[in-house]
Amino acid sequence: MLEIKNLHVSVAGKAILKGLTLRVDAGQVHAIMGPNGSGKSTLSYVLAGRAGYEVTEGSITYNGEDLVALPPEERAAKGVFLAMQYPVEIPGVTTMMFLKSALNAQRRARGEKEMDAIGVLKSVRKKAATLNVTEEMLKRALNVGFSGGEKKRLEILQMALFEPRLAILDETDSGLDIDALRLVAEGVNTLRDPSRAMLVITHYQRLLDYIVPDRIHVLAHGRIVAEGGKELALELEAKGYEQIIKEPA
Amino acid sequence: MTAPLVLGLPEARRNEAAALFRARGLPTRRVEEWKYSDLARALGEPGFGAGTARWATGPLPQGVELFDLAGDDMPDWVQTHFGIQVPNVLSAASLASANGGVALRVRGTAAAPLALEFSGAGHVRALIVLEAGASLTLLERAADGARNSGIEIVLGANAALEHIRIAPRNASVAVEQVALKLGRDARYNAHYASFGGKLSRLELSIALDGENAEANLSGVSVLGGDAHADITTHVRHLVGRTSSTQLFKKVAGGTSRAVYQGKVSVAQHADGSDSRQSAKALLLGNRAEADLKPELEILADDVKCAHGAAVGDLDSDSLFYLRARGIPENEARALLIHAFLEDAMSRIADEDVREQVRTAVNAALDEVAA
Repeated sequence: MLEIKNLHVSVAGKAILKGLTLRVDAGQVHAIMGPNGSGKSTLSYVLAGRAGYEVTEGSITYNGEDLVALPPEERAAKGVFLAMQYPVEIPGVTTMMFLKSALNAQRRARGEKEMDAIGVLKSVRKKAATLNVTEEMLKRALNVGFSGGEKKRLEILQMALFEPRLAILDETDSGLDIDALRLVAEGVNTLRDPSRAMLVITHYQRLLDYIVPDRIHVLAHGRIVAEGGKELALELEAKGYEQIIKEPA
Repeated sequence: MTAPLVLGLPEARRNEAAALFRARGLPTRRVEEWKYSDLARALGEPGFGAGTARWATGPLPQGVELFDLAGDDMPDWVQTHFGIQVPNVLSAASLASANGGVALRVRGTAAAPLALEFSGAGHVRALIVLEAGASLTLLERAADGARNSGIEIVLGANAALEHIRIAPRNASVAVEQVALKLGRDARYNAHYASFGGKLSRLELSIALDGENAEANLSGVSVLGGDAHADITTHVRHLVGRTSSTQLFKKVAGGTSRAVYQGKVSVAQHADGSDSRQSAKALLLGNRAEADLKPELEILADDVKCAHGAAVGDLDSDSLFYLRARGIPENEARALLIHAFLEDAMSRIADEDVREQVRTAVNAALDEVAA
């Protein structure tokens, strides 16, 4: 589903990713682990199409299509979803209105019929309950005054609502206490699906106790330096990044 | 029968105003408060003309009485309040030159919003008096025309005025001076929607003159082409425990110019005063300009005052977030511009009036942000 080959990315002229190669198939959950400054967020932004992240070499292929050429909104319509580390606050736009605009923009782009307000509301309500996203949150301005946990739960609610084919979770565990983490992880696990691929980006092994990956890749200095099964996370936790990064992959 | 001397009072005030206007003339850009608005140049030789601009009201709700200032036999309440609040030379000009206008008095709770429209060229005056405990929603519209309007508002103890002003794009020069005095526990909530003109300026001079008096001002400007819109406020906290808030949002495209000058003065011994001021502008073109100048003058010791101003482009984080959720760039931009303005429009209490302002804003945005 996702194939990244020899990817080089620069931000403001500075090389961040330096030859990253990665392949994730449908139905699989892969984790990217790495220390601060290894290029984890750059990878998530370049997959979602943020301006200012320049691909200088290599390729990103998604379902056989060159992803780099597409603007962010087209990637979203084709099923790419990034759960962000820092969801933005937008005063003046209610959460519900935002969800409806986004959902219908994606449907429009795919040539599907738009949903009316009641249809969107029903669909949102059904998914909101299990993630403990309240009616009151849906009425408030998008992310304004939301706690860290509420923001992350809303990201996962969007993932449930938009039903992406490729979901990228960028540091979804950051700023969450153990109960919030468990709730978010359960939300993610119910979305595991044979037709869906997930890329879970995290600094810590903790999240991977709850979202158990099929494969783990260690990112350092802009490249994948180690790969393995789910047990690699425990090894990282025990030894620390430095030792793993030094050892030959 | 009132004594002739008392009947002559408003006439004397007019003569005084005429003398002031003759002595000072129209303000030029050399006057600090007119630095961003070149009135003499925009107005040209004919000025506002010698005529009197027109006014009209909608149906008078119960509790509201009207006196035509062109008429004879000025009632006592008009004699008492008319021509008293003359905060600047343009207000003196309208007091001296207008041969008419409207005076409104409210007792008790006005049963419905009152519409008031100014149109045509020339000078015009208005006086609005809310007696103690009275309340009114005033919906003002400023139609096209080269006009200088002078409005005096008096809010008695515990009176409450909701003032919504919609000024559509004006092809000419339009200036309006609003002078307002608030008594104890009185409240003035205002929202000004301005779409600019060749030159347009709304100047507010507000005196918080009784304990617990409060003024809450908000406004939006949507400017395109070469429109100009200036909002200048001067809020004076004359006694303690008074409060004022100001929130102005401006969107400027084309070669337009948005101006906000806000001065808050806290008098000596006006302790416990609370004032907040915020003005923000979004520039949609390289050639649009915003001049935001909040200013504080504090002579009391124990006060809370905050002010801020920012000019910028749309937030790139927000834009990316919306696009990453599938919302196309132009739609995402429009959503963010609406959201930027909505923050100020949401302060309008009356739902129908808020919808009217939204409609005017949306129509203007369709042109400006296209």
